[in-house]
Formats: sequence, C-alpha cells, structure tokens
Amino acid sequence: MGSSNQKTKSKSLWIHAFDQIKRDKLAITALAIVCLYFLIAFLSWAGIIAADWNKEIGPSYAEPFGDYLLGLDLFGRSVFIKMIKGTEVAMSVGLLTGLISMVIGVTLGGIAGYFGGKVDEVIVWFYTVFSSIPNIMLLMAIAFVLGKGLMSVYLALGLTGWVGLCRLIRGEVIRHKDREYVQAASAIGGGDFRKLFKHILPNVLHLVIINFSLQFQSAIKSEVILSYLGLGVQGTPSWGTMIDDAKLELARGVWWQLAAATFAMFFVVLAFNILGDALRDALDPKLKGK
Amino acid sequence: MSLWTYIIRRLLYVIPVVLGVCLVVFVLFNVVLGDPTQILLGKHATAAQMAEMRAELGLDQSWFIQYIDVVKSAFTFDFGRSWSTKQEIISMIKEGAIPSLTLSLPAFFIATVFSIVISLFVSFYRGGLLDKTIVLVCVGLMSVSSLVYILYGQWFFAYKLGLFEISGYEEGFPYFIPYVALPVIIWVIISLGPDVRFYRTVMLDEIYMDYVRTARAKGLSEKVILFKHVLKNAMIPIITYVIIQLPFLILGALLFESFFSIPGLGGMTLTAINSLDFPVIRAMTVLSAIAYIVFSVITDVLYTVVDPRVRLS
Amino acid sequence: MKALSTLLVVLNLLVAFSCTKKQDATEKVLNIAVGSEVKGMDPIYANDRYSSNEVARIYEGLLEYHYLKRPYTLVPNLAEALPTVSEDGMVYTFKIKKGVLFHDDPAFADGKGRELVAQDFVYSLKRLADPKLQGLGWWLLDGKIKGLTQWREKNGKADTVNYDEEVEGLKALDSHTLQITLAKPFPQFLYSLAMPFTFAVAKEVVEKYGKEFVNHPVGTGPFVLPRFKQSNKIVYTKNPKFRKKLYPSEGDEKYKKLGFLKDAGKPLPLVDKVVVHIIKETQPRWLKFQKGQIDYNGVDKDNFQSAIPDSKTLDPKMKAKGMKLLVAPSLDVTYTAFNHDLEIFKSNVKLRRAMSLAYDIATANKLLNSDVALPAQSVVPPGIAGYLEDYKNPYRGYGQPQDIEKAKKLLAEAGFPGGKGLPEITYDCPGSTTARQIGEYFKKEMAKIGVNIKIVQNTWPELQKKITNRTVMTYGIAWGADYPDAENFLQLLYGPNKAPGANGSGYDNPEFNRLFKIAAVMQDTPERTALYEKLTRIAAEEVPWIYGVHRQNYTIHHGYLKNFISTDFDAGQAQYLSVDLEEKAKALKKL
Repeated sequence: MGSSNQKTKSKSLWIHAFDQIKRDKLAITALAIVCLYFLIAFLSWAGIIAADWNKEIGPSYAEPFGDYLLGLDLFGRSVFIKMIKGTEVAMSVGLLTGLISMVIGVTLGGIAGYFGGKVDEVIVWFYTVFSSIPNIMLLMAIAFVLGKGLMSVYLALGLTGWVGLCRLIRGEVIRHKDREYVQAASAIGGGDFRKLFKHILPNVLHLVIINFSLQFQSAIKSEVILSYLGLGVQGTPSWGTMIDDAKLELARGVWWQLAAATFAMFFVVLAFNILGDALRDALDPKLKGK
Repeated sequence: MSLWTYIIRRLLYVIPVVLGVCLVVFVLFNVVLGDPTQILLGKHATAAQMAEMRAELGLDQSWFIQYIDVVKSAFTFDFGRSWSTKQEIISMIKEGAIPSLTLSLPAFFIATVFSIVISLFVSFYRGGLLDKTIVLVCVGLMSVSSLVYILYGQWFFAYKLGLFEISGYEEGFPYFIPYVALPVIIWVIISLGPDVRFYRTVMLDEIYMDYVRTARAKGLSEKVILFKHVLKNAMIPIITYVIIQLPFLILGALLFESFFSIPGLGGMTLTAINSLDFPVIRAMTVLSAIAYIVFSVITDVLYTVVDPRVRLS
Repeated sequence: MKALSTLLVVLNLLVAFSCTKKQDATEKVLNIAVGSEVKGMDPIYANDRYSSNEVARIYEGLLEYHYLKRPYTLVPNLAEALPTVSEDGMVYTFKIKKGVLFHDDPAFADGKGRELVAQDFVYSLKRLADPKLQGLGWWLLDGKIKGLTQWREKNGKADTVNYDEEVEGLKALDSHTLQITLAKPFPQFLYSLAMPFTFAVAKEVVEKYGKEFVNHPVGTGPFVLPRFKQSNKIVYTKNPKFRKKLYPSEGDEKYKKLGFLKDAGKPLPLVDKVVVHIIKETQPRWLKFQKGQIDYNGVDKDNFQSAIPDSKTLDPKMKAKGMKLLVAPSLDVTYTAFNHDLEIFKSNVKLRRAMSLAYDIATANKLLNSDVALPAQSVVPPGIAGYLEDYKNPYRGYGQPQDIEKAKKLLAEAGFPGGKGLPEITYDCPGSTTARQIGEYFKKEMAKIGVNIKIVQNTWPELQKKITNRTVMTYGIAWGADYPDAENFLQLLYGPNKAPGANGSGYDNPEFNRLFKIAAVMQDTPERTALYEKLTRIAAEEVPWIYGVHRQNYTIHHGYLKNFISTDFDAGQAQYLSVDLEEKAKALKKL
C-alpha cells in the first residue's frame, strides 16, 4: 500500500472522468467550441488571419448583412475581423491570467498547507488581507503601477484571482500530507519539495483544472469591465473595447459591434462554464458516489 | 477550546488583518503612486504651490507617520476630506450608503430567494432534462457581460418601452423604485447563474448523504426529504454564502451606479478612481476590508455555534 | 423564468402607478444635465466648467459677459459701471452697486443677508490668494496685483493667515469703492473679474462654516441653495430678494431677429427653479433629453447622424417634436502635442512636419467631429483677434496623395526613411471611449508613413501628471479658452510657461518667446493684433503640435426652452433662460 497504489487510484480517477466526459455530449460540444476559439486565436496570433483588422474597407458604420458580413465600425473597419482579432486578446487574457493565478495559488497554497506552522500563518494572513481588499481597488492600483496595456491586464487579473485556489489547495494539501503514501515517500527519503510537488500535487490537480477553467471565463468577462474603466487593452481590438464603443453607438442605432462582441464572448464563456461544471462532476470525488 | 476562547481568538485576529490591509493601502497609495499635488492643483500648478500643498496634506512627513495615520483612520473612521470635492469623507459615505443599499439589498434578496427556489426545483428533477436546461439557461445568462445588459436594458426597456426611469434617483420610499427597478432586475439576472450553480451543488451534496438514503428507505416522499431534511441541512452553507457576500453590497455596484446615475458608494468610488482622489479610495478600501473581515468572523462564529465539529478541525 | 416575468409585471405595475414625485405644473423649472461630478460650491476651487457653472448660479462677480453680444463683451454686473483706469493702465477703480444683498443665512445677524460692500471683494480676492486654502484659480492673479503675491508668501510661513494685513494693490476706498493696483501691465485683467474664481463671498459665512463652507453657498446671485449635497441632483430655487436685474434690452441684430429680446426688461431670473442632473454617461443623458426630462443637451458625434442627418439641419422627426438646433463655434483647439524635451522632436522640425502632413485632418473631422469642425491651421481659434482668416498651413495634411508623398519625403530628409530608425512612439490620451478612438485614428494615419504609434490611455489626472513629469512622447488633448483673448492660446507655446506651467509640450522658441513677451502686455490695439498674427504664423509653420480642429458646439434644445444661446462662457446663463409651460405640456405629449 504505497505511493504506487495512490497513483493508480488517481490515474483511474482520470480515466473514469475522461469516460464520463466522453459520454456527455454537451461537454464535448463545449470542448470543441473552446478548441475552435483557441485555433482562431492561434491563427490570428500567428498573423494568418485578421492581420489587417486596421484596414478601412468601406464607409463608416456600414450596416451588416449587406456588403459586409457584420457591418463596419466608426473607421470603416470590419467588425467581423475585429471580432476575430478580439478572440486572440480574450483567449490570451484567459490563458495567461489563469496561468498566473494558478502558479501563485498552487505554490502558496501548497507551501502553506505542507509546512504549516509559522509559514502557514503568514500565508493565511497574507491572503486574508488580500481577499478583504475589493478587487477593483487592486486592479486599479496594479494598472497604475504597471501602466496600461495587455501586459498589465494579464497581471492585474492574475494577481487578483489566486486567493480562492490558494485556499482550496492549502486545505487539500493539509488533508493529504498525513496520508500513508506521503509518509511512505518520506520513509524512502524524499525531500519536502519533492514530496509536495511529486506526490501531493498530482492528487489535487483536478481542483486546479476546474479552477482554471472557471478563472478563464471570468477573466474574459473582467476584461470588458476593465475596458469600461479605461484600464483595458489598448491599440488592438478586444471584445471589451467593442462593447465599450457601443455605449456611444447604441443610441444612434448601431448595434452590430455590441452584438458581435457579445455573441463571440457568450459562446466561449458558456463553453468554459459547461466544461468547468462537467470537469467538476467528473473529477470531484465527493460527487462520485451518485 | 471553549466556544468563548475561540470567538475571542477569532476577533483578535481582526487586528493583524486590518493592519495588513492598512499596509497594503499605504504602500499602494503613499509609496507607489506617490505625489498627488500636481493632480490636485490642475493645469496652472507651480513648483512652489506643489510644495505648499504637500505640506498641507502632510505628505512631507516620514513614511512611518503616514502609515500610522492610515491605521488611525481605520480605527477612528476619520478619513479626512476628499481631495477633489473637499467633502468630509465619512459624511459622503453615510449619504452614499442609502442609495447603494436601496439598490443592492433588494437585488440581493430577490436573487437569493429566486436562486434557492430554482435550485430546490432543479434538485428535485436532478439529472433530468429540465435540470440540465435550467442550469444551462442560468449559466447562459451569466455568460453575457453585465455591461451589455446595462447598455441594452437602458436603451430598450427604459427608453424604447418607457417601463422604467432612464437614470437618476429620488430619495425616499417609494420614489426610488422606478429608478432602481431596472438595475435590480439586471442584477438578479446576472446573479442567477453563479447562485443557482452554487446552491444546486450544496443541495446535491446533501441529497447524496447517507441520512437521505435512510429517509428514502423509510419511505418518505421526495418532497418531504427535500424540504424537511435537505433544505435544513443545506442552510449552513447557504447562510455562510449569503453572509460573506453582504459586505460587498455596501460597495454597491460600480457599473450600475455610474450608468444609472445612482448617487451611491459604488459610483462615488468610481469617480474617486477616475480623479485619483486617494483619501476616498483609501477610505473605501479600508472600510470594505473591515466589513469583509468582520462578516467573515461572524460567519465563522455562527458556523461554530451551529456545528461544533468545525472548531476542532 | 416564470417567476422572472411575474416580477417584471409587478415592477411595471409599480412604475405604472407611478412612484414618481409629482412636480408642480405651474412652476417654471429648468432641467439641466451635466456630465461630471460637481466639485463643491466654493468659488476658489471652481476650476472646471461644471463647477464654475454651479458656483455662478449662487455667486456673482464685478463683471460679466453681455448675454446677447458677440464677440464677447464685458459689462458690469456687481459693479455700477466698467472701472475707471489710470492713464498708465495700472490702477482700476470700481464703483459697486448699492443695495445688493447676500442670501439669508444664519451666519449673518438675525439670519438676514447683509449688503455687499467693497470690502467683500478685498476679502474674496485675498481668499483666492490664501496659501492655506490652495485656491485653484491663484494662477490668475499670481504676480498681477501689487503686494498680493508677497502677502501670500509671507502668510504661507505663518501659522494662520492674517487677512487684516493690508495689501497695497487691494483697497476699499469707501464702502462702495474698490481700487485695484496691478504689479505689472496685464491687459487681460478685467476678464479675470468675470471668472467665478473672483466672485464675492461673505467673510461671516466663510468663518462660520470653516471647511464646511463648500456646502453652504451664500452669494448675491439669482438662485439660492441652502445646503449643497454631493448627489446626482442639485435643486436651486429663485432668490426672492434678488436685486433688480433686468433681461437685456439690447443685443446683436441676429439675436434680435431670432426673438431673443422678447423678455427684454423683465426681472431676472425667469424661472422658479433650476434642477441640475448629474449624468455621467452619454447614453442616459441623450435618452433623458429625448423624453423631455432635460431641456437641452449637447450633440456628440455618436448622436450626430441621427440628430442632424445632413450636418446642417435638425432631423425632421425631432423638429416635429419642437426641438431646435443651435450651432456655434467654440473657442478651443484640439491637438496632438510633441514632447519637445525629447531630442528627436525638439531638433527635428522635419519629422514634426512629416507627421503633421501624414495626419489626414479631413477624414478625422468626418469621423470624429461629424465633419462640422474647422480644421485648425494654428493655435488661435476664429472669433478672436489673432486668428488668420484665410491662412492655410503648408504642413497641414488632408489625406491627399501629394500630402503623403511630401510627408514621406520629409521623413526621409529627417533621417528616418520609411520610418526606419524611429522608435515606437507612445501616444497618451484620456480614458474616454472617444479619446481612444482618436488615438486609434492617429495610429492608423501614422502607419501610412511607417511611424509606429502605441496608444496609452490614462485617467485625466494621471495624464496631467505624466505631462508635467515629461514622461510622454506625444499626447492628445484640447484647450478651451479661459477668456476671449489670443494670449490665452499663445501662452501654451511660450517657453517660460513650460511644465508644470501651461506649456505642456515644452516648446521653446526664442523668437516666439520674445514676440510673445511684448504682445502679452500690450493693450488691445492693431499693433497687438499684428503681433498676435505673426505669432500664430510661427506656431503654424514650426509645427510644435499636430493641430486638430476648432470644434463647433452643437446643442439641441426643446422648443419650450426660451432664450437659449450656446456660449463659451455659460456661467450665469441660467438666469436668462425661461420655460414656456404651455408649450412644454404640449411637447411632452409628443415625446
């Protein structure tokens, strides 16, 4: 009954989860949508599509479904291409924000849970302080310190999104660290960090993944709010800036920018939510008994 | 450990956290963001004037003294005056709290009741098509940016259909209702997604417990189980979830308030951010942090009273 | 979902039964919308248009602009007449109107407002100079009134400010005679007396309320507000004891023809109540105007096409509802400034000219200003002396192929063929959606000649700070006139005014500085105009900034609102406005 047993157990959890998701048509559709968005984002990033988003192709505010698929914006640029380019921004915001908060959350949560004592107290104090300050204030402060731009959007959202995961990981690590397999690992002389990262973390990975997918979609939504506050992406189109434009356009009947960005965002956020839920149902052992 | 020692220990823990919040606030505003005098004096400022201003604001003091001032304000609630409006901050907060609460309390209450009802309903039909559809709709509703709801709702429902006031606020009951109705509805729609999802999980957690199986084995009807047992036991996490959200209501809703011209704390904070009115931002940060800490202590304590096992772990 | 629709129905019923407060139908109420927070009611802090407009409903100054005369003409307000000026132009003597009363307030003996005296102006001007208060209008008088700057410096070091100490240049000769002596010639001085910074406050009130004075406005003006509250709405009522001030019975021909003299000779103010709605977002402001809940509203570019489809006349549908359109040039200039501290811009006039030529102002005007603004050739706007009527700046681009060719050639001559060797240039702008769009346009235009722009958005104070700290490369901004004199525009390029002064770009040209220094102290003469024109020409050809446009002010008002004129100096305007209640009742039915 050593670590190997625990490993097979966690492996079977994954296989089981995979099977379950495979049977869930909705989750598979969601996964496909997410992959499609990633593909679009990648192609746009590589400059293969939507590189000429800044080109003026017709009259200002041309209506959609005529000569132009989704109409044109103030400068006569294609709303459709802007939407595609916005996908790149949105996906990069989701991905990097998710990664940043994942790294911070897992590291701090793991260390706090594993070492306990003073280290734990300091980290708990730190995230309690952090979580009691309203996010908007932190976002603003970070944006001011780092200046505006895509980089500070990543960092601002990443640096404010780790607390939940950190708390979760800390709790799980505490539960795991006294388990037999960890003790067995120390018996064969594993160092602390080896034990933490090699043995314990794989067993809490499912929490990280669920959290990541939820973090991803909330980051995409937050980008819109940041744009509204003037702290958002600058120089390239994003769904946030497109929606922000709409606050001046709607009253004159220009609805297509708002619609394009809203729909583009709707599907990917929805897909991530469904995927997150499906992953949780499949991976969270608590619900496995049903 | 007795209940009282636990409560006292928990209360004492508030102090280091408040000190920490003050530290973060101090570092952000006094150290990193630095000298605001230029901002305050506007386009015609001279260097001499800026120096005079720094002295007026006490910014030429040592950092330690400035930090102590921040801490002091957290305990005395004396935040001084706003830089841009020259108003006393504490009275600005008092005045802004009422409009904020007239918006956020009803919205929160309605959203919570709705979500609980809906999640009870879907738990009853768990796994079925109805469950899946309703959850999907709720999640769909939250997949649209709140800004879109606001923009569209104001244009369509308030202007085109004339169902609500477009923007503004009127003091006193019931005059404020036409002004807050639309933001409240939007708030409810946005909250349904996360809330239903959470409450549903909580209820499903309970439904799969052993005691439910026992009850079912005893032949109790599903409805009785759901309302008598599941809801009762799910109440603890539900109450926790509700209480922990309360402090955020004080801040109201930034976007709603600024878009619908409701003179509450959220809009005030947004204005302060846009004009770099540090004392106001600082006050709002410290106050909401304190509210958050106090409410989380209350949650913890309640939790312990209800379920003594928690204290031991 | 069913529950949701039930909720909707219930709420609609509530609204239908109307929880709205009923307004008295016989009362003339003026409804005004402003787009920004009002900073409080203290004249010395009223440094933005919004706050100074509010202040001017309560407080008054010695002078004001004639409501129905253009170009802007100063006329006495609290003064009996325009001042007598000594021969050397240094000593101004004012007679102050008799029988002007402050609003009633507990600060006065038995709560009744006392009579305004010359000493009140001495006090109010000193208050603007008070080093402890840090009034935001101090730049207006700094170094201009004899002894006042010294008084400020001396009291800055003391613990309390001594108002009893005499200032040589500020004297009340008797209860109704005020004498102001200047420290140096300053021909624009009289304009400052029409600005809210210098309006009269009562010492008793300031002393009674201390720091709360900002919430207890007590002036001599047409409206009263017992207590100011930072809110989304400010409600003023007519001052029942307002002195006998009459609606002007003369004015420009064009105003006469338009019927602006119908109310001539009627006692002001013409309305019973002024309600100021603070609405920050454009959409609700526009929508509320359409519903007749606001009496007038500026037209911004996004409502432009629907409101004024042919760029000249109002949309027939809106016309049918009785709305009216007003167009007036505004005294301002928009521009993209270079930071002249940076060697790359400072010593490289060719680069500046190339960028200016590449910037297609015609299209910018079309997209961003609905094609109604006037492309700026230089810094001075039309309507004031110093503006060059038919002048065309040779380095102004209109998007023509030859402009781009010339720009590319100049760029190559500057040492950056095709933009090679140029770093990425940052462009700082305020945080609004429109500002971002202007930035995007600039980026697009510069890309045509290979210049790479990066847009950086800032909050307004942050942008100001960056400009002062010289950490910008280029930035987009606008300047609106403080007073109608070219000096107020040309000083933006005067070397010694470098940041933190008004010259944010840091442009410093010895020849320009020399001429400006001469012109700045001259009285209004043809010689001065000639000098102004010369300066304007230098400012055009040296391209210290890429000039944008002089904007036009488009305002739509409901037909029931009477006497409305768009003006650059709208402080105090509310007293002249009137509302025709019958027409309003009819109009509201159509909206």
